[in-house]
Amino acid sequence: MSHTYGTIIGPNRGRLLGTALLVALGVLVAGCQGEPGPNDGEVINTIVLPTDTLVNLACADVGIFTEQCVLEDPENPFVTVPIIEFDVNDPDATNKFELFSSIPAGRTGAKARYYFWATALARRASGENQFYTALALHELWNYNGDPIIQAQALKAYRSVLDNFFGSVTVFTCCESVRPPDDPRGPIPFPIGLNELTADNLYRTDATGYRRLVEGDPLLVLEVLLEWGYRYRPANPPDYTDGLVFVNTG
Amino acid sequence: MAVSSFLRNMRQAGGLLVIALALAAPLQAQAQADRVTTFKDDKGWKLQVNGEDFYVKGVVWGYSPRGQNYTYNLWGESDDFIRKVLDYDFGLMKAAGVNAIRSFSEIPPEWVTYIYREHGIMTVINPLMGRYGYTIGGKWVPFVDYSDPLTRETLKRDMVEIVRKYKDVPGVLMFAFGNESNYGLSWSSFEIENLPEGEQNTAKARYLYSLFNEVIAAGKAVAPNHPFTIVNGDIQYIDLIAEYCKDMDVLGVNAYRGPSFTNLWAEVDRKLDLPVVFFEFGSDAFNARRFEEDQRSQALMLKDQWQEMYNKAYGNGEEGNSIGGFVFEWRDEWWKYLQIENLDKQDNNASWSNQGYLFDWAEGKNNMNEEWFGIAALGLPNSDGVYEARPRMAYDVLSEVWALDPYDASKAQINAMFASMDMALYELKGDVRQLKADNRESKRWLRLTGGDIRGEFALRGTEEEIRIDGEDAVEFSDGQMLFVDFGFQPTEELEGQFSLNILGNVADKRPLEFTYGDRGLPIVIDNATTEIQDVDVEPVIIADRERVEIYDFSANFRGKHADIEAFYHTPRFHWGYEGDFFGLVREATDISGMDVWNAKAPEGIEIQGKGAFEGLTLLGGPEVYWGANPKFVVKYDLDLGRVGLSLIHSEDVARLGQGAAATQATERQSRQTTIYAEAELFKDVKLELGGIMSATEKVDEIYTRLGPDGNIYKDEIKFEDTLGFKAKLTFPVFGAETYVSGHYAGLVADGGDPLKTFGVTDPSRLPYSGLGNKQEYEAGMMMHFGNLMIYPRLMYRDNFIHANPFIPPSIDPDGTLNPGLSPRDRDNDPFAVLGNREARSAEMFFTWDPTGATPFYDWDNEWREDAKFAFNFGGTYTEFPTPTDAYLFFYEPSGANASFGRGLPAEDVWALSSRLVFNPTQRSRYIFRLVRGFDQSTGNPDGGTRDYFELHGKALLNRRHLISGYFLKDAWGPYDFYRQFNLTYPEQYKLDYAYLLGSPGMLGSKMDEERATRIGIRGILRTTDENSPDEEYLDGLNDYLFLVVVYFTYRF
Repeated sequence: MSHTYGTIIGPNRGRLLGTALLVALGVLVAGCQGEPGPNDGEVINTIVLPTDTLVNLACADVGIFTEQCVLEDPENPFVTVPIIEFDVNDPDATNKFELFSSIPAGRTGAKARYYFWATALARRASGENQFYTALALHELWNYNGDPIIQAQALKAYRSVLDNFFGSVTVFTCCESVRPPDDPRGPIPFPIGLNELTADNLYRTDATGYRRLVEGDPLLVLEVLLEWGYRYRPANPPDYTDGLVFVNTG
Repeated sequence: MAVSSFLRNMRQAGGLLVIALALAAPLQAQAQADRVTTFKDDKGWKLQVNGEDFYVKGVVWGYSPRGQNYTYNLWGESDDFIRKVLDYDFGLMKAAGVNAIRSFSEIPPEWVTYIYREHGIMTVINPLMGRYGYTIGGKWVPFVDYSDPLTRETLKRDMVEIVRKYKDVPGVLMFAFGNESNYGLSWSSFEIENLPEGEQNTAKARYLYSLFNEVIAAGKAVAPNHPFTIVNGDIQYIDLIAEYCKDMDVLGVNAYRGPSFTNLWAEVDRKLDLPVVFFEFGSDAFNARRFEEDQRSQALMLKDQWQEMYNKAYGNGEEGNSIGGFVFEWRDEWWKYLQIENLDKQDNNASWSNQGYLFDWAEGKNNMNEEWFGIAALGLPNSDGVYEARPRMAYDVLSEVWALDPYDASKAQINAMFASMDMALYELKGDVRQLKADNRESKRWLRLTGGDIRGEFALRGTEEEIRIDGEDAVEFSDGQMLFVDFGFQPTEELEGQFSLNILGNVADKRPLEFTYGDRGLPIVIDNATTEIQDVDVEPVIIADRERVEIYDFSANFRGKHADIEAFYHTPRFHWGYEGDFFGLVREATDISGMDVWNAKAPEGIEIQGKGAFEGLTLLGGPEVYWGANPKFVVKYDLDLGRVGLSLIHSEDVARLGQGAAATQATERQSRQTTIYAEAELFKDVKLELGGIMSATEKVDEIYTRLGPDGNIYKDEIKFEDTLGFKAKLTFPVFGAETYVSGHYAGLVADGGDPLKTFGVTDPSRLPYSGLGNKQEYEAGMMMHFGNLMIYPRLMYRDNFIHANPFIPPSIDPDGTLNPGLSPRDRDNDPFAVLGNREARSAEMFFTWDPTGATPFYDWDNEWREDAKFAFNFGGTYTEFPTPTDAYLFFYEPSGANASFGRGLPAEDVWALSSRLVFNPTQRSRYIFRLVRGFDQSTGNPDGGTRDYFELHGKALLNRRHLISGYFLKDAWGPYDFYRQFNLTYPEQYKLDYAYLLGSPGMLGSKMDEERATRIGIRGILRTTDENSPDEEYLDGLNDYLFLVVVYFTYRF
């Protein structure tokens, strides 16, 4: 489509019109701001991490894929923090696990860990970030016993199965094969997150926390069945042979 | 047998003799040129050829096959094919009694003579004399200013040169100049604008007609044996014609007055006393009211017109100034409506209104259907590849009319003949022909309009595989593909087309080539090893994938209040020339580029208001341009006197689920509102102003920055950050078209694609960006020195907030978090500094193009450029003193964007490039493009800046042999993702040879190159190094990979 812009009029009127438009533009531009001034913004060179275990969930699905409201949670200390994902092309580069491991252990770091992983998940949707968010919620509930957090942790674990069933996380091992001083470093190996999720729910030793589905461990299997999965629990001594199946029938 | 063989040989010999004679004609032309004169006595005027009376029984002739438009050049085809076209068309014309033609194309002299000698039909030489633009002083001027001294001198010189070229050519009837030039007085000048509005066009017309007479006078001095005339739009400005065109011999007129020419004869007789020839008149054969072909109304109209013309001829006691005319036109042309769209179907859209044609006129509605004016319809190609002309009823009527010589018959005899014509019989003949044609084409509800069959055999291998497995490592695969195209028209108001694509096998050519049809390749879902934790796992391969899909679709509905167009994978243009100053609606014409990734954009619906809703446009759909989020766009245009205003609002309603072009990042859902005003302040001085409000949903979003004091700041997006303003002033400086522009854009005031001077073919590498967070200034000056254009451009840009450096976060043992800082990205931050980063850029291009009618930077120049030699050469140097934030890419496995983590570093980049076009003969063309550059990736910072060289070439030999290829050194691979991931190859070679089989008459356009019937072979070779993809380099184990493809395409 095209349009024509009317008939020709005298040059004086054109000049006036052009001048008026230029003046209008000048006024509009003058009313705008460009570079930030010296008083703009808040200095955030340091942030004190929360040490309590009380968490007000920012929204109903916070910490669950695809929700990103944790990025708008004013209590979240990691909103502006770069959380660097593992780079397969540069495995030696700094990544999120280094920062994660610096968070104080135990109760005082539980809330920070939750915010860390929920932020990572909101920034990068991955099974790994979802799994560790679930684990962090699990830990929080272990300390505060809040049934809301308990339910949220279950939702987060379920999200690992529902949304990232085939995802893995990478661990390193095994000193018997490659000693710690080997210049090639430890051997990385992937583990399916579906197994880890079921194991965390089923076996308290896996996390060191209370079981989210309280009571008999068999209740975990029922919950998993409700979610649409069957679990063949892992066996001692290594607990690496657990299997999760998707119900197809 | 012997006899028939002898006869066949004799026929061939005879044919060769005719051809030889015809082609030798120019050598003898001087001796055989005709003398054409006008004659007058008290009974009126006559035209005479070599002393014999000659009443012009003409048609306007041109040859435009289906699928082609005004760019098609019959004279560039082989002599054999030209002859077949001429013999077919002029054979039919001769049978009807046609004795002269007028053509918009310049028919080469040898073919003018061929037409005359073989078919007895004479030709009017009709240069358009700048009617649709002209090269003046080396610069293409679309609206010619006839008052400009250089323009007048140039046109006069060139027109006389054409006269000199044709003056002795046998078969030339007369010389005529222009085409309704009085309707195209669109130029403006300061002097004329100072006149009262009503007198401005009259003033311009004075310049036009005085120039006409100067040209005619000069032409007659060169060619005294031919009459000279003009092609005027009706008899507008007849008083000025009388005043200025004293040397004119005949008045040439295009007249669309309906069945009668009313007072035209008397007016010309009274004011000019010249004979009248109609260069265009007639009627279309489509009834806009009944919305169907209407042969009868056209024929009746022409019958009435010719009866009046005969009555007004010499010796009938009336004005006696009718000497004949050229019916518009011989055969329908399917490109006339929209001109570059729907070329393979006949549009039914009426594009103007004329109350003289009462058979289908209605108040407030158009009734003139440009694609239906032929006295013959455009048929299918015959066995020679010539598109047939299906005579309409008008052809039969005119055959009887033209059988009568008005100079041999009395007025009573003339009128008796017209009264006795058996119109019912002619109608029946026309209907029968139409019925037969309809049967052939299955018109209406659903019809097959064409398609093609493609087949290929591919050989693929790598050095490493061959080293290990020998020749067994060379993989062979084959592919077959079928396109079937359909048109449909279930109702009068609704019509459209769609194509189906059907796959057989799919040849696997990856990674050297990604092509349309790869959707059919098997997908390996899980290529795990055979055992995981004691459980056997088989690779999961989905082999039987989509074999049939709708390739494209479009439909148009013409309603009372709006026209609606639905589109799916059909090309669409940007709105940059229609008030979209910030480029919100981007161009989506790279259909073949989309096909590589099986992308189906553009997809949506456009509604254009009519009547009370004129100026309103609604656009919406899942992906209205490639990579667009699902969105709707509302646009309203209005005129305020001399100022044109456009208001646009664009609103994303969701986010695209898949990246365009494999790894192109998706964009967050957003919105923009823009206003644009344009005014021509003085002659050639144009001011454009625009404002934008963008991404208001980002207000209050948090971002970080490093302050000048070294502190890390957290800040929020404010409303002011959503605003942007842009101004551009275009003005002449010593005749050079000059522009300056300024663009202020708040942090999130993002627009779309900036519009370059020459659009998508602009060679500029200035770092244009539609993103906000900038103040940007640009200037350029287009200087012309004869055929040489020099175009320097400058750009300066600064950011309000620069990219973030990477400062690693840390946590102290006391639980204090040092949050650090990282480069932003467009998913996790409200804005990021990317292509819009600070820049200082300068560029200069030299362009040599002696033929301005085929502009060097037109999108189709590759097929249209007709200069013997045209080229450009230039370079761009850009300083990027700051780094970028992090780019994103679309990561298919997670179905989401991922960040490269770091930005591109500060760098100074440059590029030199040249494009050269050679046309040594009409049937051969060579095009080369060279680039030498030093530039960065468009995403991944790893690997650094690349110093590269490119040579691309294409040669079309004898319009049959198409050779194309490239040699690239240290350059990125051929698809966007290679540069995005900074993947280069030491050397890349490609060579493609195709033999174009036809169909004859369909060669030499973009469409042919993509879809012509052909057979060919193509080879690609790439060497690898550490900058190449890991899976191809294999840590140095693999030196090269190659692909050879043998292919054929049959088009029907």
